[in-house]
Amino acid sequence: MDKKTVTTISYLSRLKIDSEKEHKIVKDLDNIIKFVDQLNGVDTSSIEPLTNPLEKTAKTRKDEVTAKNLKKELLEVAPSANEDYFLVPRVVE
Amino acid sequence: MSWETVIGLEIHAQLSTKSKLFSGGSTEFGAESNTHVDLVDMGLPGVLPVANKEAFYKAIRFGLATGAEINQVSSFDRKNYFYPDLPKGYQITQMTKPIVEKGSIKVLTDEGEKVINITRAHLEEDAGKSIHDLFEGETGVDLNRAGTPLLEIVSEPEISSAKEAVAYFKAIRQLVTFLDICDGNMAQGSMRCDVNVSIKKSGDKGLGTRAELKNINSFKFIEKAINYEIERQIRVIENGESVVQETRLYDSDKNETRSMRSKEEANDYRYFPCPDLLPVVISDKELQEIKDNLPELPEEKENRYISEIGLEESEAKIISSSKTMANMFEEASSKTDDIKLVAKWLVGDISALLNKDNIEIDESNLSPENFGKLIERISDNTISGKIAKSVLEEVWENGSDVDEIIQTKGLIQIKDESLLEDIARKVIDSNSDQVASYKSGKEKLFGFFVGQVMKETQGKANPKSVNEILKKLLK
Amino acid sequence: MTIKYKTIKEIKQMISQKDISNKEIVEEVYKLIDKNSHLNAFVTLNKDKSIKKAENLDNNPSDSSLAGIPIAQKDLFCTKGIRTTCGSKILDNFIPPYSATVIENLENAGCISVGKTNMDEFAMGSSNETSFFGNVHNPWGENLVPGGSSGGSASAVAAGIVPAASGTDTGGSIRQPASLCGITGIKPTYGRVSRWGMIAFASSLDQAGPMARTAEDCALLLNEMCSHDIKDTTSLDENIPNFEDSINESLKGKKVGVVKDLDLSSLDNDVIGVYESSLQEFVSLGAELVDISLPNLSLSVPTYYVVAPAECSSNLSRFDGVKFGRRSENPKDLEELYIQTRSEGFGDEVKRRILIGSYVLSSGYYDAYYKKAQQVRRLIKKDFDEAFSDVDVIMTPTTRGPAFEIGSKGSDPIQMYLEDLFTISANLAGLPAMSLPNGNIDNKPIGLQIIGNFLDESTILNFGHMYQTKTNWHMFTPEGVKP
Repeated sequence: MDKKTVTTISYLSRLKIDSEKEHKIVKDLDNIIKFVDQLNGVDTSSIEPLTNPLEKTAKTRKDEVTAKNLKKELLEVAPSANEDYFLVPRVVE
Repeated sequence: MSWETVIGLEIHAQLSTKSKLFSGGSTEFGAESNTHVDLVDMGLPGVLPVANKEAFYKAIRFGLATGAEINQVSSFDRKNYFYPDLPKGYQITQMTKPIVEKGSIKVLTDEGEKVINITRAHLEEDAGKSIHDLFEGETGVDLNRAGTPLLEIVSEPEISSAKEAVAYFKAIRQLVTFLDICDGNMAQGSMRCDVNVSIKKSGDKGLGTRAELKNINSFKFIEKAINYEIERQIRVIENGESVVQETRLYDSDKNETRSMRSKEEANDYRYFPCPDLLPVVISDKELQEIKDNLPELPEEKENRYISEIGLEESEAKIISSSKTMANMFEEASSKTDDIKLVAKWLVGDISALLNKDNIEIDESNLSPENFGKLIERISDNTISGKIAKSVLEEVWENGSDVDEIIQTKGLIQIKDESLLEDIARKVIDSNSDQVASYKSGKEKLFGFFVGQVMKETQGKANPKSVNEILKKLLK
Repeated sequence: MTIKYKTIKEIKQMISQKDISNKEIVEEVYKLIDKNSHLNAFVTLNKDKSIKKAENLDNNPSDSSLAGIPIAQKDLFCTKGIRTTCGSKILDNFIPPYSATVIENLENAGCISVGKTNMDEFAMGSSNETSFFGNVHNPWGENLVPGGSSGGSASAVAAGIVPAASGTDTGGSIRQPASLCGITGIKPTYGRVSRWGMIAFASSLDQAGPMARTAEDCALLLNEMCSHDIKDTTSLDENIPNFEDSINESLKGKKVGVVKDLDLSSLDNDVIGVYESSLQEFVSLGAELVDISLPNLSLSVPTYYVVAPAECSSNLSRFDGVKFGRRSENPKDLEELYIQTRSEGFGDEVKRRILIGSYVLSSGYYDAYYKKAQQVRRLIKKDFDEAFSDVDVIMTPTTRGPAFEIGSKGSDPIQMYLEDLFTISANLAGLPAMSLPNGNIDNKPIGLQIIGNFLDESTILNFGHMYQTKTNWHMFTPEGVKP
């Protein structure tokens, strides 16, 4: 874990690291990664990853429209919107 | 130097479910902005997705129709990236265990039939829409489309020209509409595609570096975009540079592709299994039921039209080329005993009109019901074939009802034999010279008399009756 | 008549005997909140509606199981029309248009949600020091942390303000603060309680549960919190027993697993002493101690610190300033909107975990970290499966020690992560686990953890209740032992 990696993952995460905190954050992240590196010593060949403790399969829905029109409520909680759309600064394609 | 082109297509087909892939939001097209947005589609804190089983069933139909493997246990993954019309900051898709794998489809190319292999077809949710040109300095976001189920159909890189790519896309479109899993409406964005294009020296084994052309939604643009891109890549290589692996945007106004590299910079989607969704299982019983209810496919239709109905191969091909065309044929065939007549109209007049306007049958004003009526009126002698042509032209213009046109324009065929006989007598009486010539052996003049009678009746006379009456009177 | 330090059971009796009105109860709760404002346990109060609901109950008495019981709700549950912050600046103005299933279940059973409790930001923390709304203090000592992340809930119950609170537990966030505040709390089996409306931290680990003064009260609350919810596909469609029914069963012949590979070397002798003497209490209740082995237990903290950050890095992407919550002011373009909003809106610990999560999922590292951790997770679960073929419950200390001082863990995040050494494995394996007070060290409470088999909350509650019939550690309050 070095400065360059931290720059890359901060961009992926859309986070900015303050320059005065950068040194500590790089060090903290490096320590955490070193700490979890102890997993490398475990033999996990032929072990299936466990992504959810419920080793079950999903219930599904029927194809039915159940939603109500929430336009007003949803646009009201938005940080920026007009009567019809959520608004963000112009995106240039 | 000669170059070979290698093309792979990723087609996104919106599945025609009523509700979204993970919520009870409606998928209806064209609704007022942000009115079909459920709490889940909005990605509000604390909401959870629940998968729509019907989307799986539709995907499986596609898998069965392309002879693919169906993964009866399939799972969902998250693809992480930020964009304003992606409410959760990730898209739920099937990366590791797609519902469909390893299918294929036959495509008609200039060199004949070619099989294109399909790597996979997986379910994923669509994003919303960003509207860039409506507001000063701002982009508007409409989340109506967010969460609509998509089937992403990924081909092997086996397509070797722009034309072949279009033929492949058309074959997929034909299939999904026959299967009734997607409406195939390109103008509404129900089908869109990304194209991977690379070139290599003829005979080279490996693949060249590819560029991905994003989100193209018409046959015309696919062909143009690919051809532009092939030429660009050849130019790049012949200038001694190398092609960069990147995403490019096709600009149809300028007919060029341009790099979107700035956006893709350092993009890493960090796929991982979606912890909110357990794997979805399709039982043997469900699979069997889908198999049993699979609709007749284009190829099967074509074969049946030839062997059972006795159509010519060329006729059968045209009629089974689209679901609407086949529907027209089947609808009209139920209205008449003369099935050949139906085929003749579809392959003849209607195909000619389609060619003239350069449109697909489902873009025309003619509905299967209306076409059925037209055939019915010809067969029951309400109108003549000639009148039918003018009726068809009017329907083609404005989509009016066939019976209404016949009624309001008074086009009903004259079946009253004594009336026809009166008109025929009048024609004979006022053309004594021609009668004399005819009787002296100029039999070609018979057509002249028929024409005169038709003229008098404004084309509404039944030609067969006119023939018989004239023959009798001129004996 | 006061409800301070009273249990749900006691308050129910007071109501049914008309010793106190529902309105008086709620009014006293708000007085107690005021008196204890230095604890900083609450972020948002729901006073008007609560008093109204109490008045309604006074006019139309209800026989619902928890009618009139005041409850504090962790500010991680969405509450319709009531601000829900998750302890974060990024949500400091967020008013959800819907309520979590747990909230609805509790309110339908008659509970009165008096307010939303402070917590570590997005439930990431073990001391309540990461909340945007400031530290929560432990009623057992002004400078002590209450634990975290459900610190506000634990502090409010421990101070006797409310008899019950909701909590959530991703790596110990119910049990660790319960231990540090001297109360009882249970994290049910993953899937017992619906996650609909719980703001997700790590989806495959998060589970809501009750925090109260006794195991018996936890059983009453759990009866109402559990449900099969079609809105959460990880919600279990299993029979939900009445958790009160088996609470008094004899422990004779039941087996307690004692983890022989537990590394207690870093624990104070006092802590080990408290732990061992409670094991003896269970022996005297008729249970049998059985040595078991959980060989991969020591790997649970590193496993967790891959899995939880990975899931949270993705779960927290929706906080981008576009559709809800706070947006940074005057961003010049979209990128700046994202980066400024998230950098200003999230605190350091949340950022740290998002960064770790992005790292372990990024291409080139996925197999080495994320996949590896999920494989080790399976090994940890397998250890438990094997152990539970021999025993009814497994016991460990809940925490490495009693409450520590605010700021004392310094700036090394790993020291804080190790706080959850004993609790994390139950989340990784999805098992139910409870903490209940089992001793006092320097007038600071400490807890015992009882881990149960899959779906077997009943047995844990039975063990907990029998222990509380024989001991009085749960009667200890910051103001002395309850009469």
